[in-house]
Amino acid sequence: MNRIKPYLPWILYFVFFIGIMVVRPGEHYVHLVARVIIFSLFAVAFNLLFGTTGLLSFGQALFYGIGAYTVGMLAKAIGPEYFILYILLGAVIAAFVSIFVGLLTLRLTGVYFTMLTLAFAQLVWGLTFKLYHFTGGDDWIQAIPKPAMLAGPVLKYYVFCFVVVTICLFVIWRISRSPFGMVLKGIRQNPQRITFLGLNVYKNQLVAYIVSAFFSAVAGGLYAGLDGSIHPDMLHWPTSGNAILMAVMGGMGSFFGPVVGAAILTGLEEIVGKYTEYWSFTIGVVVLVVVLLFPRGVLGIRLAGRGNKIEE
Amino acid sequence: MDFTTLIAQFISGLSVAMLIFLVASGLTLIFGVVNVFNFAHGSFYLLGSYFAYQAMGMFHNFWIGMAAGVIGAGIVGMLMEFFFLRRIYGRTEEGPFQILMTYSFILILDDAVKYIWGSEYKTIPKPDALMGSFSLGSVMVPSYNVFIIIVGLAIVLFAWYFLTKTDTGKKVRASSLDREMLGLLGTNVPVIMTVVFGVATAMGGLAGAMAAPLRTVTPGAGVEVIIDSLIVVVIGGFGNFWGALLGALIIGQVLSFGILWWAELATVASFVVMIIVLIVKPQGLLSKRGVGR
Amino acid sequence: MKMRFVSILVIVALLMPVGMAFSAETIKIGALYTMTGRGGQYGKDSEVAIKIALDEVNAKGLPGGKKLECIITDDKNPQYAVSVAKRYITEDKAKFLFGIISSAIGLAVTEVSKEYKVIFVGSDHAATDLTANKFQKYYFRSSNNTFQSMMAGAYYLAEMKGWKKIAYIGPDYAYGRDQWMEVKWGLDKLGIKYEVVGEYWPKLYEPDYTSYITAIMKQAPDVLIVGFWGGDTVSFIKQAKPYGLFQKMKYFHPDAGGNYEAMASLVDDMPEGLILSARHHLNWPDTAANKTYIQKFYKAAGRYPSYAAEGAYVGIHMIAEAIRKVGNADDTEALVKAMEGMKIQCPEDPAGFTSWIDPATHQIVQVQAIGTTVKNSQFPPAKYMLGNWKVYPADKLWPNMEYVEYLKKVKK
Repeated sequence: MNRIKPYLPWILYFVFFIGIMVVRPGEHYVHLVARVIIFSLFAVAFNLLFGTTGLLSFGQALFYGIGAYTVGMLAKAIGPEYFILYILLGAVIAAFVSIFVGLLTLRLTGVYFTMLTLAFAQLVWGLTFKLYHFTGGDDWIQAIPKPAMLAGPVLKYYVFCFVVVTICLFVIWRISRSPFGMVLKGIRQNPQRITFLGLNVYKNQLVAYIVSAFFSAVAGGLYAGLDGSIHPDMLHWPTSGNAILMAVMGGMGSFFGPVVGAAILTGLEEIVGKYTEYWSFTIGVVVLVVVLLFPRGVLGIRLAGRGNKIEE
Repeated sequence: MDFTTLIAQFISGLSVAMLIFLVASGLTLIFGVVNVFNFAHGSFYLLGSYFAYQAMGMFHNFWIGMAAGVIGAGIVGMLMEFFFLRRIYGRTEEGPFQILMTYSFILILDDAVKYIWGSEYKTIPKPDALMGSFSLGSVMVPSYNVFIIIVGLAIVLFAWYFLTKTDTGKKVRASSLDREMLGLLGTNVPVIMTVVFGVATAMGGLAGAMAAPLRTVTPGAGVEVIIDSLIVVVIGGFGNFWGALLGALIIGQVLSFGILWWAELATVASFVVMIIVLIVKPQGLLSKRGVGR
Repeated sequence: MKMRFVSILVIVALLMPVGMAFSAETIKIGALYTMTGRGGQYGKDSEVAIKIALDEVNAKGLPGGKKLECIITDDKNPQYAVSVAKRYITEDKAKFLFGIISSAIGLAVTEVSKEYKVIFVGSDHAATDLTANKFQKYYFRSSNNTFQSMMAGAYYLAEMKGWKKIAYIGPDYAYGRDQWMEVKWGLDKLGIKYEVVGEYWPKLYEPDYTSYITAIMKQAPDVLIVGFWGGDTVSFIKQAKPYGLFQKMKYFHPDAGGNYEAMASLVDDMPEGLILSARHHLNWPDTAANKTYIQKFYKAAGRYPSYAAEGAYVGIHMIAEAIRKVGNADDTEALVKAMEGMKIQCPEDPAGFTSWIDPATHQIVQVQAIGTTVKNSQFPPAKYMLGNWKVYPADKLWPNMEYVEYLKKVKK
């Protein structure tokens, strides 16, 4: 049993997300789970910065949006055949942008870092709105085509997302368990110690920032294909906020925490949306409860009282 | 551009600045003294405008409405600090939790307002005394905007006097430097923190109550205001009261003249200013603390 | 941690049967409206009007003894609205999509309508695009588009004397930009010469217009053409009044300016002599049909309706008429044919005129009336209503295939 333990979350992950494919609920629910899995990637990418490295970025929507817009605009302009290429391209562009943004923002710490990431994201959001001749602005870019193989019933696209996300999650998982990942965790717990060990905190944070941006953009690109439409609000700060909420609710101390958080947030929105229009209130209360009583998130409940050990 | 336009835009920029200042100064005060980043600060602006609306509906008096806005927002603020924020003081990684908790308050308060008062926008009339306008040369200046500017300046003067000349004020300033030390010296730090929180949120409520007759009373107003206030606080320096004033003045004029020169990008301009400040002097224009590496 | 995963699995599994709905006895319409936030008033008003219309329709009866039913959900944002629209079709088996206040959301949902081949009756969003360059055959609209309002506006300006310089202020998004484009196109078409002295683009829901107002005063146009809606109109007028803007220039707001809710909010603050119009008026036309509709609404809601309600009311009747013509609600192609060219009597039709649906664009063709604000307390709490009406015949406003071609070129 102890041999399987580290892999238990993976097993459950597969059971859940493949189980959906087997059960085949209606279009609507497959679409819902597709959103969950895409957001899971976004939240896990965010958590690499937050839970692992201790950097609270309020601007990940910037990279998510870059991914979405790259895919959306290219698919519309050139055609959907190279869809996967567009996603990759979006991620690479996001990574480049993140180098510049990271170099500037990481010079600051704490709240100042957070605010600067927010500022950059809002700036690009504003530009996306204003430069509507290029980006379609507030009108949305609609009817983004998918390659023929993936078009049709949502299930096909869901399988595609599942494959892409699983590969990405696996890569992030390996990164977080690698020596580099250990350095990141060390930075979060005690940056000075890391410096004493002869390692450069700034450089390592920058690498984490770039990796996070890359995968956030993959998530955004996938989403563009899911709904076939993109909008500047994908870069708006509540999108960044959602990533934070998912990570915290699920448990920022564990790798799969954000996945659980993504499922909870999306599921809640679905259920609550049917019964009441006071969606914000509900999620606000849930977050409040989590912050007060379950600071380690849903997955961290078992760990209360066991000290600060990070579970993997 | 001629002189009259300059004056007209300057004055309108000033009244915009004053409203932002009232909210931003509260935000910066809370950060400086209580060491909390109150992301929900815009919601007190919101509450101020709704309490004012409610009181005006009941008493048909503008001044009672303003008082209701100020006092109501202050009380809710103190309750929030005492019952909720206090519980996360001293936690490891308190910063992110502050942001999360205050974010949850934005969500809760926004919907609470919709539930109690409905989601349609409301309007309040200005008091008769302040309806008109007077001319400065060929420029028309509405009396109400001047009223806002005067109130803003009055608050600034009062705050300056309080913080620098009175004992309590000095204690408040000392709290921002070291919570623990002050407690050890016998000052009742928790009380100071709650009161400061209340005063700061009351100021946000004042801004909301004053802005209400000028704009419309509507949910979502809090969110608009918080981003602008954030920009101002960053420019001026977190925790720096005078920095908030300077930042507000700068942003007020950037917005005002930006419309004339750079219509498309006027709203983006304030973010650009914020980013420039963060790169050149991240602790803010007037702050002395270092925050980088 | 295992328990958490299992409990989540359970929650999701429970979600699935919740969507099961039986459609045996009822024909479902899936409506999306903004029920909260800035456009919430229109959503709420539409909801009341829909109920009134459903009662009337079901009292008259439908083929097969079936009842017409409407589910209304808050549309929040385009992504959410799209998923709800899809859920309506796949889970709730709705035969029609309906409503929507925001054109951006309308543009997103029309794609769903096209993909699933389900008729979508739009009832308040007014972007001309949906009946022009973004037209798809399952889309119909039961209220007028911005072109109809702005073309009528161009006619009004053509008849007006003593102006040359114009300026425009509107929210910086498609709705704001389109109105400006349309009024200029209309003026050019009518051969009217004008000089543009300024264009101003505050963001949607901008709280503070002061700087814009001082800039406009400086430019001193003869006519200020305005494209706001909802709370923005009210804020702007309140903020502009002390500057004496309304004495210096004519305020011209033909699409949404004359919405009753603006007059009810401004009360005494409403200046006199503003030139406004809206998609439905309370005090015009003075027909029995309009009066009855307004009374019914007042009785049901305790207040007078904004114009969004009338579009919803008409839309429901359109659907009912189509079902009656075809005999059932399942033959979508037949229903589409039935709606094309359909004549439908609306509360806003003046005596002797019946609105009809243009077969080529699926846009309802209606008369537009533009008026100026005068003292009138017949519809409290408003103290001013419109008067001095100028009426523009429907066929002069739509269809305008020349404009549709122009749009297709300009918007690709």
